[in-house]
Order: sequence, then structure tokens, then C-alpha cells
Amino acid sequence: MKSKKIFCFVKRLLIFLLSVFAYGCAENERGDKIVFVSLAWQEQSLATHKSIVAEWNELHADKPVEYVQSNWNSIHDYLITSFETGDVPDVFHYESSIIVDFALRGNLANMDTLLSDEFKRDIHESAWKSVKSADGSISGAPFLLESMVVIYNQNHFRERGIVPPTFEEPWDWNKLREIAKALTIDSNKDGWPERYGASIGLRSSANILLNLGIGYGSDFFENKNNERGVVIDSVDIQYLNMIKEIIFEDKSISPTSVTQSGPGTIPSFINGKNSMLIGIGTWARQQLVENAPQELEWGVLVPIKEKNQNQAANSQTLSIPAKSKNKKDAAKFIEFFLSKENMAKLAKSDWMSPTRISLLQSDQFQTPQYGWAICTYIVDKLIVGKWLTLPGYAEWKSRVANPLFQEYFSNRMSSKEFKLRMEEESKYVFSRYKR
Amino acid sequence: MKNLFFGASKNILLILYLLFLAFPLLWVLSLSFKSSMEIYSGIPNLIPLAPTTQNYYSVFFDQNILKSMSNSFIVGIISSIGVVLISIPASYSLVRYKTYLNKGILGWILVSQIFPVILIMVPLYMILRNLGLTDSLYGLSIVYIVWTLPFVLWMMQGYVKAIPIELEEAALIDGASRRQVIFKVIMPLLLPGIAASALFAFITAWNEFFFALVLMKSQDLITLPVDLARFTGMEGQARTGPLAAASIIATIPSLIIFSIIQKWFTSGLVSGAVKE
Repeated sequence: MKSKKIFCFVKRLLIFLLSVFAYGCAENERGDKIVFVSLAWQEQSLATHKSIVAEWNELHADKPVEYVQSNWNSIHDYLITSFETGDVPDVFHYESSIIVDFALRGNLANMDTLLSDEFKRDIHESAWKSVKSADGSISGAPFLLESMVVIYNQNHFRERGIVPPTFEEPWDWNKLREIAKALTIDSNKDGWPERYGASIGLRSSANILLNLGIGYGSDFFENKNNERGVVIDSVDIQYLNMIKEIIFEDKSISPTSVTQSGPGTIPSFINGKNSMLIGIGTWARQQLVENAPQELEWGVLVPIKEKNQNQAANSQTLSIPAKSKNKKDAAKFIEFFLSKENMAKLAKSDWMSPTRISLLQSDQFQTPQYGWAICTYIVDKLIVGKWLTLPGYAEWKSRVANPLFQEYFSNRMSSKEFKLRMEEESKYVFSRYKR
Repeated sequence: MKNLFFGASKNILLILYLLFLAFPLLWVLSLSFKSSMEIYSGIPNLIPLAPTTQNYYSVFFDQNILKSMSNSFIVGIISSIGVVLISIPASYSLVRYKTYLNKGILGWILVSQIFPVILIMVPLYMILRNLGLTDSLYGLSIVYIVWTLPFVLWMMQGYVKAIPIELEEAALIDGASRRQVIFKVIMPLLLPGIAASALFAFITAWNEFFFALVLMKSQDLITLPVDLARFTGMEGQARTGPLAAASIIATIPSLIIFSIIQKWFTSGLVSGAVKE
């Protein structure tokens, strides 16, 4: 009797399994679609992406786009395996500093011949520089420019009688240091201020330090015999030590913020524990608009000028894999997706600068509200960092630069040891990428 | 008096330890009911000042997490059943039928666990693609079965070893057939092991990220861990509230299953570990 029951159970189990298996297989059909892997993740940005795709699908029922939402943390692994297996999406969203490696490995289609002249003419030169290789091939269509700004608390500035800098008279680092000191409040003089003048999120420090360093005259990289490598000179050390002094000697930059990521520093800015966010992405404005109380008035400072106001261009891009079977349609979709009207929506929803010149000149990106005019002003100051098109940069950043900067900023090594290790370890990583 | 003091201290310590263990979960639960503005205020209060269900609404209706949950559930169930069906006869044979190959087979099973996932990913993808099993819940389930099987096999071995062979011999002497011995004597005794193995396979499939990320290409077929990752953005940013809500929802099924059969699970892990 019991074995009959067991037999019945096994039979039912098999029927259940077969039906579930059939479900799994039935879903395995993708059809003739343009597969678009997107990295949009914020609600507003997601809605914009999806609405543009829906609009395309309405107009191009014969070549619909399948929207696949991926994420910034795993897209690299996803793409590497896709390139290796040949099962690639037709369009993918990423950033210029990373796709250069893919282009060098031959994973990406050259979009120079795929994109129209009208589109190419309207894209800002600094954006093109971030995706063009030496032979002129284009690895991606840049559509959003990431830049770093200093966001400040207007209430704290007013309280201390500080007047923000102007385009004509920007601050240098000394002035910023002086202002940060003036904004710091340590009423009981115990060395632990109740309010810090500024915060700087240095958890992933390479990006922010390299970017801010350009304006200071520190570049960390040098060309020697047509080979780029890391060379730490006295200006680099001077620049790093200056930031260290603001943190440890002036005590006007929150030491906690040094261990945090950029977004991690925003809550303490919102609750008034620090007065400036140094080296934060322009996207942070969205967090403030959505999450800061109304009484908190904030603004964006004109970029610091030491030697210049330059920053490294890093753009968000749409690329087409070399193995895509829909290259032409994919390029058509990209141009539709990045039309003037759509790019404006994308830039507004992601709080970054668009790459179309016609948009940058328009009123919506020249308004002083939410610091848009300053963000647009920075676009003209974007240059190609010496590291941006360097093969192996992504690995160098995570394996060498970030850990060493962190050690240096936690006072665990001398500048001499920092220079030695940074140069040696960088040499080792980059040598593996030489052809 | 002394005993009472020690008893009370022991209980207080246990409660504190329990709170310490449960705190991350409680914190995530608290975050899931906070508005974005409250999360960004940086005020570390466990009880939300103005509780909201907006995060849960966003997770269910904007992100449609039920779809990925059902995918994870299907994959989890198939792999649990598959793993159990294979591991029972396999572990029984390895324990009861001694051959010169046994040790080699067991060693080989362990060796298969040494390889990092990234190393086997591309060849595995190629094989599955040739079989038409990429972008399919069926294919992903097979991968999970294969991936979980070595550990479960070792675990089940412990259970089988713990059943005295004398029981089987007695049943055989009493005239039971081999089938009857397996179904009427061994299986009832193996039930705790089966439950523990099924739970382990389910939780592994429920939480696994990398295979699901690479093998599942369609939006409709993604599993829960991949869906959860979509709440995170660049430079360490995240939609904290919805992510917390989604994490709480994701925890519930494994928490329920685990609380029901946790006794079997822990006994499954240790059985056979000590020689009597």
C-alpha cells in the first residue's frame, strides 16, 4: 500500500517537473529584436529610458527593442562573458573609460561609419575625445557627461558671510581651504568638530583624486618613449599632501567622509554636519532635490582653479558589439534614443550634462537653477585624462590605485613608499595589457 | 541564589546575542518602511518616524519583483527535487557498495568544487547554448543541480552512513526485497537528510547570482538576486528604501522554510561527522 503511494507521488512529481520544464523552455524565444542592455537604475531615469524604448517600438513594430535592465556592479562580468560566448546584446550602456579596453580587444563595432554626420557634428568634442581611439574609430556614442562639482550649503555660507566665487574669479585650493576652516565649528575645542567645513568621499579615491588633480597640475601619468605609465612627481605628492593636511591638520574635512563613497557623504551634508561636498558627481543634485528638507538651500560652486579648471572627460556611452547581427538597426535605434529631445530628457532625469552641443547651448542647461549653468560650463573644460584610453586602466584603478590611495590617506605609508609602490605595482598591471 | 544569578546572566547574554544577530535584519526592515527623505536624513532611528509602504509599492508594481521571485522559486524547486532525486541513490550506492573506485569518485566530486565559477562560465555557456538551454529556467536549474550536487552528496552520505546496516540486513532476513528495504526502511530514516538537502539546494538556487546573470538574457526570465542588484547604481549609490523592501521580501521564503526544518538541516550537516 505504502509503495503504491510512493509510486503515485513519484508519478505526480514527474508530471510537475515536466510541466515546469516545458514552461522553462517555452520562454526561450527572443525573436528578431534589438536587445538593449541599459544601466538606468533611478526611478526617474528608468521611466525615461522605458518610455523612449516604448516610443521606438510603437514606430518600429518590425524591429522592436527588447529593454534589458542591468546594473553597474555586474555589467562588466556580463559583457565579458557575452563577448567571449558571442551571445551579445545589440546595444549596451556603459562608460567611456571602460569601453576603451573592449574596443582594443576587438569586441566593439566601429561606430564611425554607422552614425550619421548630423549626429556626429552635434556631439561635443570633449565627449568624442573620450571614445575615439588613435586611428579615429569610435567605440561608443557618448550621451551623458559626468563631471565633478563642489556643492555647498548656502545657509552656512550666509551665516559666515562667505560669498561664493564667480566665473570671473574662481577660488583656488588655498581659498577653498581657508573657507573650509571658516565653516568648521568646534565650539568646545576638543578636536572633534560638530560641523566640518567639507567632506570628500575617498572610498573609491582614484577617480576623484585623478580628476581633481588635473586642475592642480598633478597628472600621475607620463608618456615615456611612447609608453604611458604612472610616474609620481613632486606636484603629485604636494597635491595629495595638501588634501591630507586639510583632513588631519586643519581638521576641516570630515575624516569619516574619507572612508565613505561619494553618495555616503550626502546624508551628513543634508543634516548640516558638513558644509561642502568636494568632488561629488553632478548626479548628487538629484539626491538633494529629492531628499533634502526644503529649508536646506544649496548651490553648486564654480570649479576650483589652481592652474586651470580642467577635468577628465568621462562619458556614458551606448556601444554596439562587433558580433551584433543588427548593427545598422542598432545604430538607427541609438540615434533615435539620443535625438535632441530624448537626450534632453535623459540628461534631466540622470542630472548629468548632455553631449549634444545644441542642447548645451539651450536655456534648460544654461539656467543657474540647481547649478545647471555651472555643470554646462565644466563641459568646455573637459579634457582627455592621460589614463582614459589606457588599456588596463579599469584593473589598475581597482587593484592598485584605490588601495594605495586609501593606505596613504590613512597615514599608513610615507610619500616615498607611496611613490615606490604606486609606480612598481602600476607597471606590473599595465605590462600585462601591452600588445 | 548563585544558580539564579548565573541563569539570569546566561539568558540576558543569549538575548543580547540574539539581538546582535537579528539587528541587520531589523535594520533592513526598518529601512524598508522609511521614506527616502528619512533615510537620507542620516538619523539612525530603528522605528521609522513616518512609516510608509511606498517602497513595497515600488517593488511590487514598478519593479514587478513577483516575476523574478516566481522564476527563482521555479528554479529553486526544480533544483531541490533534482538534487534530491540524484543524491539519494548516489549516496546510498557510494556508502553501501564498496568498490576500489569509491574513494576516487568521492575525491573527484570534491575536486569539482575547487574550480572558480568564472573559469567554467564560458565553456558551460557554450555547452548550454548548443543544447538550447541558455536563457531558460530549465537550463539554469540543471546548472544549479550540478553545482549543488557535490556538497549534497557528501551531506547525504553522512545520513546514509548513520543508518546501521543491521537494519537493512534484518529486513532482508525477514524476506523484504531490495526495493522494499530502500523504500520502507531507508527512506523514512533518510527523511531528515532529504529535507536538509532539499533546503540547501533551494537556498543555494534562491541566492545564486552569477550563473543567473550570465545565462539568463531575457528580462522576463531573470531571477531574484539579479533583480535585487538592479536597485544599486554607480559609485555605491542605491535606491535604499526599495532595495530594503525587496530584500525583506526575498528573505521571507527561505526564512519560513528554514524555520520549519532547521533541526533537520543542522543534524544533516553534522551527522556522520563523529565516529561512534
